[in-house]
Order: sequence, then C-alpha cells, then structure tokens
Amino acid sequence: MEKSILLARSNLQKAKGQAAGIVVLILLAALMLNLWLMLSFDYKKNFDRCHERLQDGHVTIAVDGEPTEMKEFLEPLLRRDARTTAYSVDASMHMVGLFEYNGGEINSEFIFLEKETALSRTVGRVEIVEDSDFTSGIYMPVLYRSEEVAVGRTIEISIGSHPMTFTVCGFFNSPMAGSHNCSMCELILTTDQYEKLKETDYAPEAALCSVRLQDKEQSEDYEVMLKNEVSFQYPNTRMASNSYALVSQSRYISQMICAGIMSATAFFVLLIALVVIVSNIINDIQENIKNLGALKAVGYTGCQLVNALLLQFLGLTLAAAVAGAGLSYLLFPYVNEMMVSQTGIPYEVRFLPAPLLLTIAVLSGAVAVAVRLAARRIHRIEPIVALRQGVATHNFRRNHVPLAENQAPLTLLLALKTTCSGLKQNLTVGITMLVLSLVIVFSGLMKENIITDMTPFLAMIVGETADSCINVNAAAEEALLEKIHADKRVEKAYLYHSAEVRHIGGVCLLATMCDDFSQVNNQGVIIEGRYPCFENEIALAAKYAEEQGLKIGDEITLTADGREAAYLIAGLTQISNNLGKDCLLTRKGYERLGELANTSYYLNLTEDTDIEAFHQEIKESLADEVNMTINILSTIEGSSSVYVSLMTAIVAAVLALSGIVAAFVLYLLVRALLNRKKRDYGILKALGFTTRQLVLQTALSFMPTILASTAIGLVGCSFIINPLTALFLRGIGIVKCTFRLPIGFIALAGIGMAAFAFATVCVLSLKIRRIAPRALLAGE
Amino acid sequence: MKKVLLRTTNLSKSFSNGGVLQHVLKNIDLELYEGDFTVIMGASGAGKSTLLYALSGMDTPTLGTIAFGDQVISDLNSDELAVFRRRHCGFVFQQIYLIEGMSLMDNVLSAGLLVQKDRKALLRRAAELFAAVGLSEETQKKFPTQISGGEAQRAGIVRALINSPQILFADEPTGALNSQTGLDVLKLLTEFHEQGQSVVMVTHDMRSACRGNRILYLKDGVILGECKLEPYRHGDPGRQEKLAAFLTEMGW
Repeated sequence: MEKSILLARSNLQKAKGQAAGIVVLILLAALMLNLWLMLSFDYKKNFDRCHERLQDGHVTIAVDGEPTEMKEFLEPLLRRDARTTAYSVDASMHMVGLFEYNGGEINSEFIFLEKETALSRTVGRVEIVEDSDFTSGIYMPVLYRSEEVAVGRTIEISIGSHPMTFTVCGFFNSPMAGSHNCSMCELILTTDQYEKLKETDYAPEAALCSVRLQDKEQSEDYEVMLKNEVSFQYPNTRMASNSYALVSQSRYISQMICAGIMSATAFFVLLIALVVIVSNIINDIQENIKNLGALKAVGYTGCQLVNALLLQFLGLTLAAAVAGAGLSYLLFPYVNEMMVSQTGIPYEVRFLPAPLLLTIAVLSGAVAVAVRLAARRIHRIEPIVALRQGVATHNFRRNHVPLAENQAPLTLLLALKTTCSGLKQNLTVGITMLVLSLVIVFSGLMKENIITDMTPFLAMIVGETADSCINVNAAAEEALLEKIHADKRVEKAYLYHSAEVRHIGGVCLLATMCDDFSQVNNQGVIIEGRYPCFENEIALAAKYAEEQGLKIGDEITLTADGREAAYLIAGLTQISNNLGKDCLLTRKGYERLGELANTSYYLNLTEDTDIEAFHQEIKESLADEVNMTINILSTIEGSSSVYVSLMTAIVAAVLALSGIVAAFVLYLLVRALLNRKKRDYGILKALGFTTRQLVLQTALSFMPTILASTAIGLVGCSFIINPLTALFLRGIGIVKCTFRLPIGFIALAGIGMAAFAFATVCVLSLKIRRIAPRALLAGE
Repeated sequence: MKKVLLRTTNLSKSFSNGGVLQHVLKNIDLELYEGDFTVIMGASGAGKSTLLYALSGMDTPTLGTIAFGDQVISDLNSDELAVFRRRHCGFVFQQIYLIEGMSLMDNVLSAGLLVQKDRKALLRRAAELFAAVGLSEETQKKFPTQISGGEAQRAGIVRALINSPQILFADEPTGALNSQTGLDVLKLLTEFHEQGQSVVMVTHDMRSACRGNRILYLKDGVILGECKLEPYRHGDPGRQEKLAAFLTEMGW
C-alpha cells in the first residue's frame, strides 16, 4: 500500500494539469449530483415535515352551507370511518375569485377564514411567516409574496364578481391550501374584515373540514367517499376539495422538472469525466510503458501499479466530490429561492449527510470501475518486452491521408493525419459533442416552446385555452347562451366544464365535458384514438390508462353522485391539470352520472375585445347567476411567468455548465495531444512550420470529429428530444411531447458550438509557441 | 570571388545555467560562402552546435548580427525565422528526426509542400532524390520505425534537399550510424556538394571532416583557426595529412 501511495503521489506531481482538469469535471458532477439528491431527498420531505408540524389534513373539503349544520352532518361521518384519526370542521366562506399577480391573474376556489380560527384549528392550521402591525386586512399565502403583494399594500380580490380591497397584513404557510395548485386556496382575514365580507354576502358560508388519516395513501379514496356522501345528502351543494396525494404532487412539479434536468446534467458530466479518465489512463500506459516495465522489473506487481492509479484518481475524486458538494451548498439558496417561488412552502437549507455520502459513493464507485477497466492492460505488461520495445505509437496498418495522393492544403492534410490516428481523442471529443448537442437541442426546445412563446407548452400542460371562461349556475345557462350568441364579439363559445368522477377499481378522475369536442381549440389533447362523440364513450388520460392496463376499446365504470355508468374508451389524452388523472366525456355522457349544478363556457373573443369589460357586462346582465369569470390568458401569464424565469435560469445554467465542461475536456485533450506530439511539432518547426500553421493544424485535427459528432448529435437529439422530454414530464401526466423544434436555432447553435470548440482548441494550442526547434536539437 | 551566403558580426550567445551566465559563443565574425562544404569542428562543449543553430535560424544570438545576403536574420521573430528556414535551409540531424507517424514519402512531402505549390514537380523531385540516395519506391512507403538507421538518414537527406535549399546544415549526420552507413551518408553529402550544394556540417569526426573544403575549428566559443582544403577526392592521403596537421596545431 505504501508503495502504491508513493507511486500515486509521483503520478500526481507529474500530471498536475491533467489532475486539475479531472478535478474540475468531477467537481461539477458532484455539484449537480448533490443538488439533485438534495432536491429529491429532502425537498418533498420538507412538505411532509411542514404538513406534520402544522398537523395538516390529508383530505380537505369545503362544503357550502350553514357551518353548524354542515358540521353536524360531517362529524358523525368522519367519526364513523375507521381511517380517520383527527379532524377539524370550522366556519368559513367559500367562493371562486381572482386577484392580480405577476402581471397576470390568479383564480381559484377561495376559502376565507377568520384569523384566530385559522391559527387555532386542531387539524389544518396555518402558520404566519410574516406579520405586521396592521390590524385590519388580509393574510395571503406566502407563495404570492412579491413586490406587488407586500405587507402594507392593498390588494383587490374579485370574490365571485364582486371586487373587494384589503390591506395585506402578512403572509402564511399552509401545505394543503396555500396555493392555487391545491384545488382551493385559503385567504385569512382579520376578524373585522371577515365580518365585513360575511355581511356583503359575496361569499357563501361554508364548513371547512380537514381530516387526518391513519394512512395517507387513502387520501384520494377518502376524498371521494366524503364527496359522495355530501352529494348524496346535499345534491346541489357547491364543494371544493383536495387530497394529500394530489397536493403533494402538484406543488412540486417545477422541483421535479428541475431535479430531472440536474440529474441528467450530473450524469452527463460524470460520463465525460469518466471518458477523460479512461482516455488519460490508456494514454499514460502507452507513453510510460517503459517506466511501467521498469517498475515491474524491480518487483512491483500489476496490482500495486493499478492500485497506485486507483489511489491517484480516487484521491482526486474524493477531494473534488467533497468540494463540489460543498459548492452546491453555496448554490442551493439560489436554487431554493427559485423553487420556493414555485412551491410556496418555505425551505430552510441545511446539511444533509445522505446526499453527500451518496454523491461521494456514486462518483468514487464510477471512477473506480473506470480506472480498473482502463488499467487492465497493466497486468499484461511483460517487463522485458516493455523495456525492450517500449510502445508502438503508430500502427502500420495504413498511412492515413497520403500527401502524394491528396490535393488539399498541407495543413489540412496533416491535421487529417492526426485525426485519423487519434481514436481515443476522437471518441472523447465525439461523446462530449454528442452530450453538448443534446444540451443545445434541449435549450432550443425550451427557448422555442417556453421562453420565447409559451403556447406549445401551455397547449400540452394546460390543455385547453381560450380567451374567457364564464361559470354560471345551471339555471342561467340558457340566458348566458342567448346573450353570447347575440354578441358579435364572441367568435366561438362551447361548454368546457370539469367535475370529479371516480373510476370503480381506480382513483378519482377529473372529468372534462363538452357538447362537441370538435369545437375545442386544442385538438392536440388526444394523442391516440379520438374524442368521445357519444354518451357511452370516454377519452382517458394516457398515463392513467397505462398504469391501469387499459387501452382503446376497453370499458371502464365511473361513479358520481351515487350513480354508476360504463364507458368505452375511444381515445387517450394527455392533460396535466390533474397530474394525468383526467378523462373527457360528452355532456350527455356525464349526465348519465349526475346533473351539473353550474356550467363553465369557454369563449373565443374578437381580438379587440376588452375581456374585463365583456365580463363586467355579462355579470351585470346575469346578476348573481355568474359564479366566476376568468380572463384565461391573463391567468396563464400570471402563473407562467415564474415558469419562464425558472426555465430561463435552468437553460442558461445548463448552457454555461456545458461550455465549461467542453472547454475542460478540450483542454485535457489538447494537452495530451501536445505532449504526445511535442517531438513532431519540434521537427516541423525546425523544417519551417510557423506556430500559426501548427496551431491551425491542431485545431483542424479536432474538427472532423467535432463537426461529425455535432451534426449526428443535433440530428439524433432532434429526434429523441421529444420522447426524452416526455419521460421527464411523465410525472405530471405527459406521455407524448410534440414540441416544435427550432431548426434555425439548433443549426446556428451547432455552428456556434463548433466555432466555440475550434476557437477553444486554437487558444489552448497556443502553447505550441513554447515548443522551440532548438530544444528538440539540444535533446530537451 | 565567392558569393557570401551568411555573415556573422560579433555573434555571441550566452546561456544562464543555474543563475550562472555561460558565454558559449564569443564575438564571432564569420562568412560562409556559396558552394563551400564548411565543416565546424571542435571538442565537446566548444559551441559547434550552438553556432550551427544560430547560423541556421533555429536560435537567436544574444548579441551580434547574422545576415543572409542582405537580410539580417538575427532580428527576425520565430515565425519569420521559420519562413527563412523553409525557403533557404535544409537540415540533416544526428538523431534523424523523421516523424514516426508518417511514411518516408510523407516526411519528405511535408517539408516540400511548405514551399512548393506544383505537386507534380515536387513529386518528380522527391522521386529523383529518393533514387539518388538509393531508396526504392517500396521503402518510401514505409514508416521510419520499419527501416534501418542508414535508410532513415538517407530519407532525412532527401527531406533536407527537397526544397533545393541554398545551405544544407548537417549536425553530426553520422553520429548515430555505424561505420559503413556513416560512410554512405558522407558519400551522399559529398555528391550533392559536388553538384553545387553549399553544406555546413558540424562534426568531431576527422573522417567526416575530410569531406569539407573549409574547416573551422571552434574552441571555447571562438574560431581558433581555419583550414582550407582542395575539393574532396577519394584516396587523397595529402588531404588527410593537412587536416591532421591543422587539428594538431589547434590542440585536437
């Protein structure tokens, strides 16, 4: 062991530049790996910790009606169910509404709670994370804390169709109801404001029920049970509900995507580091075979020599992994800030030993395997043969690119000779450029479909979009249709309403219904088969169908409002609104299960229509029958701007990281090449080659592989990027991506990448200046 | 009157060795003439190779000037010196220094294509030279490690002459060869000299030095003496005696 340590130390001292390059690659891999593991291991656990700390419910349901009466109805129901461990039923008010946020609008089912009630609930209490001296006003979920929504500022909230203004007194955290992604969003009012709102009658009274279960896996079933019971007893009552299963997923979509990208980047960097290590070891063995032969001759065993290499690279890996993981803690607060702006649940950065140990173990393990595989040849070295023959640095099978037979310029011909004789160099460059191509195509995809224009992303994630959505009570549906059909500003109006149903033998599904699906704007929701046309047909979420082993032509049975009906699967969809637990039904199809208490209509309006004014007119003409109006584009802008910022940051970071990685790989390769060809370059200089010619020759020698692998990489990745992205987004119900590929951007980026590589090699090759012909002659 | 090819004025070269300045060449004034076979002799460490590197533009002097015709080459930067070398100089090295990854033909053409654009003419010249040094077409396709030292040095001579240089610099060209192959190489150099090629050769071997018509003896960085001989004729005992007497006088 002592001998191996001595050898490893000696090796390290001889190759400081190479060691530095490998350290940087491992460091970057460790940085990304540890960030990914921290996000994956602890970020979602933070939700659970917060959920436990606040004794939040696994099922939350708000039922409109007189709170005491509702409580009397609900409590026996809850107590009767053996799965219930604790619950809290409290008075609240419930109404759909919206407020301005981030340049757009947030609309949700708002649950208004009186401050003291919200803070003292035994199950589902909130915690104030920012308070103030203001004694009259509103506490908002911490997710919406921004420049516009800040303590002391006023916020206008449309409750139903009635705007009300509140002073922001502070912010609170609620895992199950602190975001519009939770199916309901709590808003906490001071006592006076709560009473004031109660007097206006804008928001009906409701009972807010939060239930803790013995097994949180039962949350969806329990939610369905509760809703069925309530619907059975109060058929036309409005409800809003959520379950732990849904909320714990939906609040972490961004974190999931971000973690996925980080893990992919980490493994790509690690792969490149391993290729570089293997390439370096093979080169070192070739160049030092006489020394290795001498060491074997004086008694070193093959194992000792391999162990020396293992020690050398594992030492570097360990140091770099610890440093990279340390560096990730410096970066994590910024990542955390981005994540919290999406999840809305505060997270305190802390030291996590498990991700660190796993990072070190993965990196060390991978490096150890790579070193062992690359160094196998050492065992086969015969000392006498190695000492006598050294190593053949050139194989004589073929004189690549004979100068006598080719007409191209000399520098290019000599460069091609180098290219043809450097298999390992080509392999390393090829893999690096392939990885870089994937990054470029991914960045192009994100730029084209999210950053520059979010429409394709929204079409895939949100599903259907229109200009306006109007929800009215069922009784007012005829009046609404009469009015909008007579209005020239309305280009198209169609029923697009969602309600929950339950798949017998499965889970709760969000059913979206339409009279005629050929009317909907986004026809891309169906990825296989067709929309349902008849009342016994259904289009089912592809992800859910796959999980359940269902396919087109199969029959499934749904239940709602105490009734059951069977449906034939006519098509498969992908909508991520309910994380891939969705279905489409015709209106008549849904009415086999239940009646619609209210209906939502989607409207396409003429371009110059003032949507807000249009909504106001509808509200005025239909008085209290309008439950909600949504300016859809504005709402999307509100929630999507954070996505755009997040994606921009991720793309910029991934591009920068890739640039750094590529530069380091090229540095290591150029360094190895110059070492290998130092003698040749000395001879060529003596013969009259200038530094410029040799630099150009070196850079050109990389270009065939760079150009070929970039072209193959860009074309190949263009084909696989959509399936790959679908794989990343699978968690939110996406099984097939049809993102547009920005061919121009990808082509330009490819040219830029090749130019960057060429320029980098040119700069790195300037070291050739220091190769003096005299040194060669003097035997230096 | 012979044409002066290279002229040095106060040529000095010093090296710092462990902080101690070593003056290897000291104020050398020298003229090298067209058509001469100049031999630079001297004991080890006398500065022979340093003088050769300086004269050929492989190295720059510490002080003094070197002029090639009207062009002062001692003022040129490294790239300008490279251009000077490719246009005017040919080199034959003791260690031969062929590029191992290239065939003999490609070694020659890599130097030739630096200067000549007419590939056909170049290939013709290469073929003539290879034939002149006795290397077959089959051998031309081989790699340096597949041939003998003598064959490699003959290929080295072809490479040195491919651009028809005005001066051929040879640094101990027989130093790494056995007696017979060394003789073959000297014979080739003599033949090319006889065809008008100017040659400057560094050697410490009297048999090699005999081939020159002008012998310079270098000692401690200065040219101690010069011996002029008639053009080389095989089996001329007087020539060897004259050289031996000169060398004895120089303290050889």
